[in-house]
Amino acid sequence: MTSPVDTPNAVRQDKYYLALPLGQRAPLRVIVDKRNLLANLLLSGLLILLAGVALNTGSAASLSLPATLRALLGDGSPLDTFVIQELRLPRIVAGVVTGGAFALAGCLMQTVARNRLATPGIVGLDNGATAFAVASVVGTGISLAPPAMALTGAAVAAALTFGLTGRIGVRGYRFLVAGIGVGAVFGAITQLMLTRVSIDAANAAYPWTVGSLNARPDHAVLSLSLALLPALLAGIWLTRSLTVLRLSDAVAISLGIAAGRCRMAALSVAVILTGLAVAVAGPVGMVALIGPEFARQLSAKNTVPVVGATLAGAVVMVAADLLGRVLLAPIEIPVGIVTALIGSPLLLWILLNPNARTAP
Amino acid sequence: MRVLTHCLSFGKPRSLIGLWLGLSGLLIAIALLSLLYGAGDVGPARAWQALQDLGAAASYDSEARFVIAELRAPRLWIGLVVGAALGIAGALLQAVTRNPLAEPGLLGVSAGAAFAVTLAILWGADTATLRVSVAQLGALGGCLCVLAAARLQGIGNDPVRLILAGAILSGLLHSLSSLILLYDQYTADEIRFWVVGSLAGRQLDDLAPLFPSLGVAALLTILLARPLAALALGEHVAIGLGHHPRVVRLLVIVVVALLVGGATAAAGPIAFVGLVVPFAARALAGPDIRRTLWLCLPLGPIVVVSADIVSRLVVPPSELPLGVLTALIGAPVLIGVVRGRRLPTF
Repeated sequence: MTSPVDTPNAVRQDKYYLALPLGQRAPLRVIVDKRNLLANLLLSGLLILLAGVALNTGSAASLSLPATLRALLGDGSPLDTFVIQELRLPRIVAGVVTGGAFALAGCLMQTVARNRLATPGIVGLDNGATAFAVASVVGTGISLAPPAMALTGAAVAAALTFGLTGRIGVRGYRFLVAGIGVGAVFGAITQLMLTRVSIDAANAAYPWTVGSLNARPDHAVLSLSLALLPALLAGIWLTRSLTVLRLSDAVAISLGIAAGRCRMAALSVAVILTGLAVAVAGPVGMVALIGPEFARQLSAKNTVPVVGATLAGAVVMVAADLLGRVLLAPIEIPVGIVTALIGSPLLLWILLNPNARTAP
Repeated sequence: MRVLTHCLSFGKPRSLIGLWLGLSGLLIAIALLSLLYGAGDVGPARAWQALQDLGAAASYDSEARFVIAELRAPRLWIGLVVGAALGIAGALLQAVTRNPLAEPGLLGVSAGAAFAVTLAILWGADTATLRVSVAQLGALGGCLCVLAAARLQGIGNDPVRLILAGAILSGLLHSLSSLILLYDQYTADEIRFWVVGSLAGRQLDDLAPLFPSLGVAALLTILLARPLAALALGEHVAIGLGHHPRVVRLLVIVVVALLVGGATAAAGPIAFVGLVVPFAARALAGPDIRRTLWLCLPLGPIVVVSADIVSRLVVPPSELPLGVLTALIGAPVLIGVVRGRRLPTF
């Protein structure tokens, strides 16, 4: 007698089972839905296309497509190579990893909280991370690198919000308002620090207050990239438990899933990703709402689109940054403002639409 | 005359009058402190001497006299007006939405006013009077947006979701304002100091254009107190008592817009005062809106003026923005209210 999971051929045709060849109780065994696979392929294609367009567009020099490709491979003219490899490529890479990180964090957090509005930005994580990152930049005596500081800030904000509203995964909107309160305190602290320092230090901290991808520090991008892959794997590993957790704790426990530990793991991943992403790009929190929403529209119903959300977040971030660069050129709109302008109406729609309001 | 006595009557008059007098005394003491202490060189002793000299014709310390009469006194007056306006606006909004969390700063009213002022400056407006009316129109717009959304989709009865809608609207308006500031350097320069929410550098002349609209708002508040108290008992009771709930609600929204728009035009967007002050007033005086309103009158200025004093003293010789301090005071109160058991959960 075998269960359906052990005999993939016996179940529905639109699911594939991927398993590491480690025997019956393989630690990583993933159900892949056909529609999700298609959605992810589509999103990847979109991302590659957008990255190409973003590489090719800009104010510095108008490059032809072959010139762009040559510069990307390193045998174009020195100026072209500089523009592509030193200016635009790092920016796109930063956009891809931050967008993916924000959206993955948002997807995990929404699932854990059973509320589509519960993104790290609303719950105050972004502002916490920003406050700590700004503290490290303006030099208030604490001398950790911005990524580490932002990580600490996100963890502190998460502990505050969830600690103040009771246990993790409280259904309802109450903890969102607590999060708004926590976020307001950290926002005020950021303002406070910015008013105390010299104008130069304040300018250095400026990207952390609006969210921008312009000239981001390499080490922050690197640490986020190093964290993103394990986080994604952890997310994929958690997908099955999370899918069940969306139903109810009783169902999850009767299926042998440690609800508390699973929530804590997902939340920790979300906190780490948000902290590191804020250290790169500042509080671009709306991506954590738009990305998963976008992925959910494309993916199969009743699944937690972890990979799809990551890809969609990267797409949204790169697209928003591109828009910000070309829309009012030569003025550059910080990506945080672009995503806020796109995300706020979406947020309102989710809040007000009775059908869209339910758990993700 | 009978209307007036009705409006001014309370449940337990003596205790409330005692409380009111005590708070007013506290307010006077705080006002005096705000004249004595500041970020500059003029310390309390010199300021006290100069204050005594103000009555006399001759003054020995012209610098202290200047600091008090030209710098600190205008701030004090604006703090008093702004505090009272924001406190009463918060109490009214909370009564009309029957939502203890409804706060002008959180509901998008201040953000609406700020956005309207930004737009007006972008299009070349400059005179103070225009800015006040523009801010009030913006406040009205912000208020109506949130409440319309709430009523349309039936989330009006859900305090926490209403706040969320307001926060989202505020965020949207805020990023639109940032976009304008980015696009237009002149507007950015003009508005940079205004948008933080601060009493610093404001002149008494800035206050004058406020008085007509604030007077209208005060009159309407006195007339609306009784219908609002009736409305707190339920719509049917209010209708039975001869009031018109729809008219009352609309008028309250107008009053809130006048008060918040005026306060925002004078001091920039200041959040959380409209949450903290009515909260404290209700804790002191009970749920009756008339009593709450009376206590908000001294409590609002107490909060704003003492926050302003602290903002000057924490990091001398520079100052903290007032909006930062009110957020630091207000957010814990917000979380406390949300954690309270009486809020319905959804």
